[in-house]
Amino acid sequence: MVSGSDSLGNGFEPKILVFACNWCAYAGADLAGVSRLQMPPNCRVIRVMCSARVRPEFVVKALSKGLDGVLVLGCHPGDCHYSEGNYFTRRRGLLLRKLLQYVGIEPERFQVRWVSASEGVKFAETVEQVTEQIKALGPKRPRSGVLPTEPGDS
Amino acid sequence: MDRKKISKTDLSRWLDRIAETCDLIGPVKEEEVVQFRPVRSSAELTLDYANSLLPPKSLFFPPVEELFSYQKRGEEIKLEQTKPLEKDRVVVGIRKCDVESLSLLDRVFLEDLEDVSYKDRRDRTALIALACPTPPRSSCFCTSFGIDPLSPEGSDILLTDVGKDYLVDVATEKGRELVALADDLFTKLTDKKAKELQPPPVDMPELDLSELREKLEGLWEDDYWEKLSLPCLGCGICTYVCPTCHCFDIADVGSTSDGVRYRCWDSCMYKDFALMTSGVNPRPTKRERVRNRYFHKFSTFPSRYGTNYACVGCARCLVHCPGGVEITTVMEDILAKEGASDG
Amino acid sequence: MQDELREIVRKLLADGAIEYFIGYCQGSEPHRVFPCFVTEESEVEKLVLGPLCLQNLSKYVLQARDLGGKVGVLVKGCDTRAVVELIKQHQLERDKVVVVGVPCQGQVDPRKLEQALGVPLERVTGVEDAGDEFTVTVDGKARKVGKEQVLRDKCFFCKHPMSFEYDYTLGDVVPFIIDAEKSEYAAVEALEELPVEERRAFWRKQFERCIRCNACREACYGCYCTECLFDRKVPRWLDRPPLPEENEIYHLIRAVHLAGRCIDCGECERVCPVRIPLSRLYKKVQKDIAELFGYEAGMELDTVPPLVNFDLDDQDPFM
Repeated sequence: MVSGSDSLGNGFEPKILVFACNWCAYAGADLAGVSRLQMPPNCRVIRVMCSARVRPEFVVKALSKGLDGVLVLGCHPGDCHYSEGNYFTRRRGLLLRKLLQYVGIEPERFQVRWVSASEGVKFAETVEQVTEQIKALGPKRPRSGVLPTEPGDS
Repeated sequence: MDRKKISKTDLSRWLDRIAETCDLIGPVKEEEVVQFRPVRSSAELTLDYANSLLPPKSLFFPPVEELFSYQKRGEEIKLEQTKPLEKDRVVVGIRKCDVESLSLLDRVFLEDLEDVSYKDRRDRTALIALACPTPPRSSCFCTSFGIDPLSPEGSDILLTDVGKDYLVDVATEKGRELVALADDLFTKLTDKKAKELQPPPVDMPELDLSELREKLEGLWEDDYWEKLSLPCLGCGICTYVCPTCHCFDIADVGSTSDGVRYRCWDSCMYKDFALMTSGVNPRPTKRERVRNRYFHKFSTFPSRYGTNYACVGCARCLVHCPGGVEITTVMEDILAKEGASDG
Repeated sequence: MQDELREIVRKLLADGAIEYFIGYCQGSEPHRVFPCFVTEESEVEKLVLGPLCLQNLSKYVLQARDLGGKVGVLVKGCDTRAVVELIKQHQLERDKVVVVGVPCQGQVDPRKLEQALGVPLERVTGVEDAGDEFTVTVDGKARKVGKEQVLRDKCFFCKHPMSFEYDYTLGDVVPFIIDAEKSEYAAVEALEELPVEERRAFWRKQFERCIRCNACREACYGCYCTECLFDRKVPRWLDRPPLPEENEIYHLIRAVHLAGRCIDCGECERVCPVRIPLSRLYKKVQKDIAELFGYEAGMELDTVPPLVNFDLDDQDPFM
């Protein structure tokens, strides 16, 4: 269980993993930061060189092991720094989302968005929106076995 | 030897009485498959079955088992051992081959070092065995290993289906205590009456395995293993359904501050099973791994523990192997060999 | 057809054209038919054909990659898809394998047969094709069983009763095709229509049963990585203990890694010792691949697999 949450999601703060591509999305995130845009703190960002670097294993492992959502941010199709990467991301993302939904993982938990380097506002809005959506869903399933607390919790 | 009988309806009543104080575990039909599961009432059981898919060794040596959990806060480390069983258990419906497999597993888990979890489960579980029907399944071959499906040896009680009733052989003190829970439901039998009801010995084609080990040991370098391993997929099903296989892995799952140590089944048929940190793998191809499996069953285990062969003739590996590697054929092939081929 | 097969194999071995032939032979009991590897002409008589030849033999062809010469393999129509995909995925050179195609009249699901007959399979001494029925010999007496009762699930939606990529083909038999009343994705659609909590509960139950024996992976033609992701120690993607959330990772990832490659041979489901209905997972991916990208694995040698490809006009719900 994510710290501080109950089964109704009251006081529930989701932990969301964000993969942001170096050339567009991460730069957009930087811009959002530099512009002092307010965003909920639930997203942990991992920079990747291209959104196509994100293998389905990253997403599935994150969700199955207890993270509440995964967001993949890449360049707009046509603008990929490596020309084609995000076209593959697009195909994989479509397929993975459908499969996850099929096994009972809500589609909001895995999303792909296109954010360019100049779209600081879009980055902030995406983070805000996705956090709200996942907050409303509640935590992803609790893990089996022990491990009720997180490090640092009393 | 205490010999009694109990009617089939009364058997259910007795088992239900047992279920009031202990965890009752028995064969349960799940879709088309029979597995040993805990039940709340005898109505959930199916005693009219051949054998379970996964062997009941899983009740003593589970596929995954929590050993202990750990928590680190600052410098303080707390370890909490996981209790194996909550209540005493009674397993009903176990077959003689599987009972025999437990005796073999006892040598591994209780001899040199007592495995805490296995010991707890073994000590606190009573076995009510169920004699095999006549005729037995065509794939069974337990008698080749000197196992008698109609003998209560190794179990606390043996039930033998004799039509409307079950013949009840009470073999141990634990068995007597279980019968005492519902004494009124049992009818004591005279030796003569018991003999009348007793079904004939099980008729099963038997292999003479007296030369198996010696002949096998001469075949280490034989090219038989190369050919035999071709259809093997290395899937490991044989080791998972085998009642005597006992290899396991230990894994810590968690973080540096919180976690659980688990023990789980492992298989020597996997490529990386024997892989060492140096990168050396003494069993790099399927040939070595398939050979190792048969050597373990028919040579290494007997020599290590001083037992008979480590196979009980349940035929689960034979039935489930997708590649068609059949242990009975392997034994026949080995016996048919002339003797040491080289080395 | 059986005699024709034996003749072809005999000749291939005699001419030294192949090192060995991968076919089917009888196991220790009549209802067990297994893969066999025929290296000498004297062994050719062991080869059999029939409705119990369930296994997809193309997986074994990969074992022969390091051999100097060629190998021969027997393929039913559905198995040919594996050979085609292996060639497309650069795992097999076409000229390394001699393919003998056999027209298939439909395969028997042994479990369905046992249920339909009401007797243990060990009393079945023969199963033969008889048009729209099977002739099953039980305790020495022949019985007819309708095909729709005992056919393997996947056979109802057979896409290729004849092999379509072969060096030799057997017989002039007209393959039997049964009219399936439901769509091939019926089981998938049924699950899709359930509310999300029920779907989640269904899959959770399946993942709890999994003991991670990895049989599904080993039986799959498409799982040929020399080191599987899940066996890697560094980084450690999965631990060995079959915890439900770890099993979920294993099955989902395997399904995704096989997207666009799964040929619906059904081996994974057939070998699973705890009977997890894996076809309901893999057919979902097949359905999506077909709907999203109009692709079916193993049908043609010269189409590009969808996940190494893209279209500028691909669906994009991600704006």
